[in-house]
Amino acid sequence: MKRREILKIGAAAALGFPAIVRAQPKEVVMLGLWDQTGAFADVGPLNDRGMRMALEERGMKILGQPIKYITRDGATQAGTSTRRAEEAIDGEGARFMIGPWSSGVALAVSEVAKRKKVLHFFSGGTEDISGARCHRYSFQWAASPYTAAKTVVDNFMKANPKAKRWHLLVADYAFGWSVEKYIKEVGKTHGLEFVGADRHPLGEREFSNYVQKAAANKPDVVAMINFGGDAVAGAREIFNFGLTPKVPLIMSWSSGVEELIQLSPEIRENMWVGTNFYYTADTPVAKEFVKNYRAKYGTPPGYAPSAAYSMTRLMLAGFDKAKSTNEQDVIKALEGIDVNDLLGKMHVDAATHQTLRPYFFLRCKPKAQMKEELDFATVIATGDTPLPKEYAACKDIGSF
Amino acid sequence: MLYALMGLGLSLITGVLNIPNFAHGALFAIGAYFLVTVVGFLGNFWLGLLIAPIGVALLGLLIEFAGIRRLYAAGHDYQLLFTFGLALILNELIIVIWGPVGISHLPPTILRGGVDLGFTFYPKYRLFVMAMAGLLVVATWLFLEKTRYGAIMRAGIENKEMVSLLGIDIHKLFTVAFALGAYLAGIAGALTAPIRGLSPGMGIDMLGIAFVVVALGGLGNLLGAIAAGLIIGIAQAVVAAYWTEASTAVIFAVMAAVLLVRPQGLFGIR
Repeated sequence: MKRREILKIGAAAALGFPAIVRAQPKEVVMLGLWDQTGAFADVGPLNDRGMRMALEERGMKILGQPIKYITRDGATQAGTSTRRAEEAIDGEGARFMIGPWSSGVALAVSEVAKRKKVLHFFSGGTEDISGARCHRYSFQWAASPYTAAKTVVDNFMKANPKAKRWHLLVADYAFGWSVEKYIKEVGKTHGLEFVGADRHPLGEREFSNYVQKAAANKPDVVAMINFGGDAVAGAREIFNFGLTPKVPLIMSWSSGVEELIQLSPEIRENMWVGTNFYYTADTPVAKEFVKNYRAKYGTPPGYAPSAAYSMTRLMLAGFDKAKSTNEQDVIKALEGIDVNDLLGKMHVDAATHQTLRPYFFLRCKPKAQMKEELDFATVIATGDTPLPKEYAACKDIGSF
Repeated sequence: MLYALMGLGLSLITGVLNIPNFAHGALFAIGAYFLVTVVGFLGNFWLGLLIAPIGVALLGLLIEFAGIRRLYAAGHDYQLLFTFGLALILNELIIVIWGPVGISHLPPTILRGGVDLGFTFYPKYRLFVMAMAGLLVVATWLFLEKTRYGAIMRAGIENKEMVSLLGIDIHKLFTVAFALGAYLAGIAGALTAPIRGLSPGMGIDMLGIAFVVVALGGLGNLLGAIAAGLIIGIAQAVVAAYWTEASTAVIFAVMAAVLLVRPQGLFGIR
């Protein structure tokens, strides 16, 4: 053997050795960035349930390799979430990441995904992840605000053709503005008159002033574009003022079960709800998931576990299609993927990384018709009109 | 009016005991949760409204007796840490006992819906709360002004050494003042339950406002607390009518403006 060859082998061994050690377990590390503290402390554990169930269905394996599922608490804060995500990526070798729940925080995490070149799935109200701040590594599972607005307005008007005077109550941040914009846009085609549109800060708890103004406008319908605690506080106040059930109330972008459970049946009367998921969704995957979830936790799943479950399944479908556990291969496979899954037909738009999927419109049931405690509503329609091209803010998704 | 009630209770505690009570918000929240629990058992809102704040007052009694009493000599840092830690513990206890998910509680049937006041439309229950809170503020005021024990309490705010030198059990006075403050927080919480619903974080929002009221009125000044509560409530309502988005910010703007002109608060001497 020549001296040069020996050197070559030596160099290869020296360079290759750490790589072999690292690759030995051949694990695919997946990170669930789920808040255990902070504003969404109550949501994180539910997200975790959903993601875990989707992974356990596969026996914690993908393409023959074991999946190592880790979770980190982002504390519902951008600083903590980005730090924890980076630690998990650098320290644990996580290359696939889902979460967190808050749109504002997720935007910051999406930047980490871009910088660290890690696949990132997210569900929530910000338009930006599949819009102005789109890039190759992040995917949006929740419907586009346009799809939501279109589903809500079209189907509400079908049921209440005379309700032309709308009063809007809007959360004053990016998510609220975009849904408001599209509701007004779609409203034009129905000849709606917007008699008022008040914006309230995120985390508002004192809604009497807003509702007083709404009542003074004598609207045919009040539509809220807010989420979580804000939506609950608003709905309660609208009921206290005696507007509902006389005047219908629309929650345009609701988490469904999680919000409805906080309201008494009396408050829910004549309430109409737009949501990304409702557990009576009529698909085989949803039926199976709801059955298993009930068996495990005793209640039907809300939006939070279902979104995590569906995102995980969609991501795993990307692995199957790619036949690879390399994140860039999986990303390429996900771009343009078609699945028939939890929500029915789902398609990931390659140009924007927006999931095109049905959005649900519900009508709440009166107390007498509820079969069990969580039997809140009936799905009266779904809609999947994608965001028209002229509104698309993601002009170029870029390269890896 | 609710702000006045919260501020009054907190001001009483701050004034008499000379401690910053960060657990005031938690006591407010517990008042609301007690109400829902009692109504759940007895099925009667009015009984709940009677019993729940008394429960909070008893809890206040316990807190003062078992904890705060040991810290009078320890300085503000320890008192602050204790009440702050207590607030966190009570908050977590709420989650453990009643769960993290918010709860709605409906007003009693006769107070549901709204009335047309001619110039505006207003919920009946809110009118009731205003009347009730007004009544409580007046009752507390009369107690402090017109009864012997009230006079002792006011004297306790002015000069503690003198009061104890006069042979009055100052420790008992502290306990009673704390329990009374807790009662006012508890009843404010119970009254608020049907308006704002219940969630573990409800006390934190209210605590901020209660401190604004106390600072605005002048630390430990009871009349100031009532006036400041009213001013903030009115300012919020007026601003909301014309510029809804600023209705929360105005609370703090009013405080900042007043404190710039009068650092000791509206009626304060310190």
